Amino acid sequence: MADEIKQLFEKRLGRYQATIALEKTDRMPIATGSNYFAEVYSGNTKQETIYDSEKWLRAEEAFIRDFPEVDVLRNNRIWGPLYDAVGCKTYKLPGRDLSPRTQFQFVEDEYMKADEYDVLINNPLEFMMDRLLPRVLGELAEPGSIRARMALLKGGMAQVMMSQIMRNRSLYLEQKLGMPQPMTGFFLAPFDALADVMRGLRGVLLDIYRQPDKVLEACDVLVDEMVNLALATADPLKRYPIFVPTHKACFLSPKQFETFYWPSFKKTMERLIEAGYTIRAYLEGDWGHHLHHLLELPRGKVLCDIDNQGDIFKAKEILGNHLCIAGGIPDSMFILGTPQEMRERVKLLCETVGKDGGFIINGGCNIPYDTKPENYRAMIDAIIEYGTYDSSIDPKPLTGQAEESETPPLKMVTPWEVKLAELGDVQGDENLIRKPWELLEIMGYTWIWQWVL
Amino acid sequence: MEKEKMTELARALMDLNEQKVYQLVEEKAKNGVSPLEILAECNEGMSGVGDLFSSGQYFLSQMLFAAEIFKNVMNRLEDIMPREESTASRGKVVIGTVKGDIHDIGKNIVVNLLRGSGFEVVDLGVDVPAEKFVAALKETGAKVLGMSALLNFTYPEMKTVVEEVTKAGLRDQVTIIIGGAPCNEQVRQFTGADYYAEDAVAGVNICKKVYS
Repeated sequence: MADEIKQLFEKRLGRYQATIALEKTDRMPIATGSNYFAEVYSGNTKQETIYDSEKWLRAEEAFIRDFPEVDVLRNNRIWGPLYDAVGCKTYKLPGRDLSPRTQFQFVEDEYMKADEYDVLINNPLEFMMDRLLPRVLGELAEPGSIRARMALLKGGMAQVMMSQIMRNRSLYLEQKLGMPQPMTGFFLAPFDALADVMRGLRGVLLDIYRQPDKVLEACDVLVDEMVNLALATADPLKRYPIFVPTHKACFLSPKQFETFYWPSFKKTMERLIEAGYTIRAYLEGDWGHHLHHLLELPRGKVLCDIDNQGDIFKAKEILGNHLCIAGGIPDSMFILGTPQEMRERVKLLCETVGKDGGFIINGGCNIPYDTKPENYRAMIDAIIEYGTYDSSIDPKPLTGQAEESETPPLKMVTPWEVKLAELGDVQGDENLIRKPWELLEIMGYTWIWQWVL
Repeated sequence: MEKEKMTELARALMDLNEQKVYQLVEEKAKNGVSPLEILAECNEGMSGVGDLFSSGQYFLSQMLFAAEIFKNVMNRLEDIMPREESTASRGKVVIGTVKGDIHDIGKNIVVNLLRGSGFEVVDLGVDVPAEKFVAALKETGAKVLGMSALLNFTYPEMKTVVEEVTKAGLRDQVTIIIGGAPCNEQVRQFTGADYYAEDAVAGVNICKKVYS
């Protein structure tokens, strides 16, 4: 049994990896990044999905039983108790601020002031600790207070609990259900890091007119931080792409994109690719005017999700045989359409965009919560029928290149050398002390930066 | 409007020349030009921005920045605008993001562009329940209702709003427009709305048609 599960896991992973790498495989993978439909498949509320990991896992187990053809299912980034422990203000959560059946939603505000660029640029960590976090995390509002110090403690502990939940989940999915992840780890384009939680869209748009040089400098500084965040949260085995949702590119003119968004985003992605990773990028909104820039990245290393407002046919034309793309089905078709419509759409996509591989059929960066099961079934059946390339191929996970690239060292506040100097000397095995010291430093550093998402 | 015939202020706004806009507005205010005249010039500039957007020369960021400048000018003019004069408008539009959804970037672009085109906008904000839309329509007598959404779970809610407007006996007098990322013609049909506006300018054009 265990062997069968392992084979299933490897087949699914191999199919997914080959498609991203633009290599031949047996059939088009069914590989959505954000399968919201699966998360609530047992009729569980959206609140239960983010607060009760048992119920969430049961939902997906039921989903896999009914849709065994699916190739990947993701872990979630949001675990309610962690957000509560620190009073995170950037999300409204189901069951807490919203009805238990409404999806979580991001709330934007101007948490960084227009005149604080120099603080961010000169000392990003100090900026995060002293300025941003006390504003974004309500429990930290009065730095130094007992409540704020408690919140930091609780936040750290909740993080460990969350990691444990996600790790167990990922192992359960892998070892019991043979299910790989569509992505592991996350980061933002530096411009988005600035434009989402820090300045907000309004703020950053004023800044690109009023103080463009500061915006550019800040994006440059954030490259390092985003690379670090991505590497610290990524799959150490490098099997899965690292996730990057892109939020503000769709608002920018081509010139603004070229100037403010692309250079630092490109640099960030290049460094992750050099470290042996692939990337899954949600190109949210309409990226039609920006897509061609992605050709500057190495071939087969980035999977691009095309959103509802994007044009999948145009995306294929532009990115062609350089990068894998995903999308093609409007969200509304999952919710309001019929199985017949779905079947025709999938057929069309398989015969055009998907005919030579390098394509994954998906909604606009997601499968909606309110998807009708019969439409999802119709999508899968049609993919198997029209999206099978060569059944004689037995997909296997890719090996080689990724393992050889070395992961750069991760950031810490107090590196071991500093600590060792303070200690003077250690009497026993230094490594026994050093390794956990560094691990905790890295975890702490990552904890701080995750709040930019 | 041809660029050459535009006033200096309208042109500055269209070109997103922020400081120049403020400076010209100050000069005009000081020289006793009536706030309504200044506003008319700004409206002209905002339509220029809308045209540039429609023709693909401007993008959302530029619309948002223009709206920001326009809003600042409006705030400045409010101080000197006689109360009764400020009510002159092209028509009333009720707008909001439907219940459950708290996103408003798209809605705000439309609101600013409508105001910039001389409409009086009753902006109900986000997470707006059906009864609030209906009450606002009754109260204002607006002939247009705009519903905005970013998330795709809102389709049934938009349909509910249309049904509630019908139940209130207002359906014949009100043109209903939907817009936002997850909307399209299929969604329009499902909700029973009259129009799906692909972008902000398309939405404003529908309002102009209704009130022409």
